[in-house]
Amino acid sequence: MVSRGRPVETTLGAGIARGMPRSIWNGTITFGLIAVPIKVHSAVEDRSVHFHQVHAKDGARIKQRRVCAKEGKEVPYKQVAMGYEIKNGEYVVLAKEEIVAAAGEQSRLIELEDFVGAGDIDPVHYDRTYYLGTGKNGHESYRLLHDALEKASRAGLGRWVFHNREYLVAVRALAGVLALHTIRFADELVEPGTLDIPGPSRAPSRREVQMAGQLVESLRADFDPQAFHDGYRERVLELIATKARGEEPAPTEEPEVVEAPDLAAALEASLAGGSRSSAGRGKGKPSRGESGAGKRPAGKSARGKTKSRR
Amino acid sequence: MARPLWTGSLSFGLVNVPVMLVTAVKDLDLHFRQLHEKDGSPIESQRWCPEDDAEVPYEEITRSYECADGTEVMISDLELEAVEPRRTRTIDIEQFVDLAEVDPIYFDHPYFLLPASADDGATRAYKLLTEVMGQTDRAALGRFVMRAKEYLAIARVRDGALTLTTMLFADEVRTAKDVDGATQKSHRPTSKQLNAAIAVIEELSCEWDSEKYKDRYRARLRSVVQRKRKGQTVMAPDAVKQPSPVPDLMAALEQTLAEMSDGPEGNGSSKRARQEAR
Repeated sequence: MVSRGRPVETTLGAGIARGMPRSIWNGTITFGLIAVPIKVHSAVEDRSVHFHQVHAKDGARIKQRRVCAKEGKEVPYKQVAMGYEIKNGEYVVLAKEEIVAAAGEQSRLIELEDFVGAGDIDPVHYDRTYYLGTGKNGHESYRLLHDALEKASRAGLGRWVFHNREYLVAVRALAGVLALHTIRFADELVEPGTLDIPGPSRAPSRREVQMAGQLVESLRADFDPQAFHDGYRERVLELIATKARGEEPAPTEEPEVVEAPDLAAALEASLAGGSRSSAGRGKGKPSRGESGAGKRPAGKSARGKTKSRR
Repeated sequence: MARPLWTGSLSFGLVNVPVMLVTAVKDLDLHFRQLHEKDGSPIESQRWCPEDDAEVPYEEITRSYECADGTEVMISDLELEAVEPRRTRTIDIEQFVDLAEVDPIYFDHPYFLLPASADDGATRAYKLLTEVMGQTDRAALGRFVMRAKEYLAIARVRDGALTLTTMLFADEVRTAKDVDGATQKSHRPTSKQLNAAIAVIEELSCEWDSEKYKDRYRARLRSVVQRKRKGQTVMAPDAVKQPSPVPDLMAALEQTLAEMSDGPEGNGSSKRARQEAR
């Protein structure tokens, strides 16, 4: 398990002022007899470019129709049941309401039952993140829970029923507010210890380890999430903008392929200043400006020029 | 071992480590198929053109983007392919960072990177990288292309295995500044309240043990399916559970602490044991 420090607050989020969307769930967090009314907001924004399917010939938007395989006729959603396949083509049929029953109590409560070290939950368990805002008359208890979690460096664990499903969640202090993470269960994760990783016939030499250590240190930088942006999304949006202006999109260039020498030689050459992905720049921390779109093999310069949307 | 989702090499400087990517997450969800209630036959999805009032074969479908002003721009497969990232088969490590600096909010989907083959070259390079990264608790940041999408990823060592997690981009994470986090001075707890709240938290504290928490939803859903299979009825969910109103904050804190220290029945650990037994 890794030990983790407190999050660096200033690096969190892009800070693009779009405002917080409406809450997706309202309820109460409890610890002991203390009740904290909260509102749940998604902390993550889906920014991928979404398209509609259209009929190429007339541009009409394609509709998905539910059709009965036997009758070939459209089936309204009301008449849809859920089938769990037990044998090939043999189903246990459940009404949609019966699946809802599995969610358990339709609770508006998140009871924090256990508290653990906030850094002790390995990040592989973190699934989705939500921010918690204060609910009605809840300002003081909200601040109290936040400050206590922060001061104790703890995260509270509880169960959350959301969209007819019960989740394990961790609540912690993050960037001045409370954040809630859905947590992956242990049995959903592959244990690294169960992987049968083949080992080499002889261990890397001390010199190799030392050189590799130096190489790692030479590429050491502070984490700056703002330095990375989704180049693919930007290119798709640029393509759309070009087409919207009635222009033809420009063709892209092929990257160069570089052959790599053997391990020790590669380490030496890397430390001597060569780097496949930063040819000519040599040692030292990657510079801020370049670590985002710019740090690319020379042949990919066409992509490197993609406009930054920061 | 799971089928590799991607094979290529992890490169830092001029060193290449031949690796394959396998998933670190098992899908244990129960999957259902939509059926027509009346006759139990499977529901199929049909692409339908409302203009023609007819089914449309896949080849006749293209995509369109709706601009903010409502105009539609049609984009063909070829045009989209042209801007897709090249399948470079490399994860270029751009920098090494301290793992503690990267808040888990950026973590998306976990995978493992394993040596692509059992030959000595691949396994030695892999061993070298995991040893060096493990010693320093460094994580590697890099990008790679999988299924025509470019990912930012973080790789770190757990139990001698490289764990790679795809990451969210900064602009996909909302800023916490817009959240109503009760930050006014008047909302601040008194030190007495804060100390009492920390005492409650410490009383309920334990070591993180991932095995302790089970997916009760999955278990219940499985039992619902079992009961249905035997022809039994399934109960509707219980009524909505609401918290009972509590007195003021300090009274709630004091009452909680009093109950916790009130004999063996009332202490924190046995309370948890009772809750688990439910």
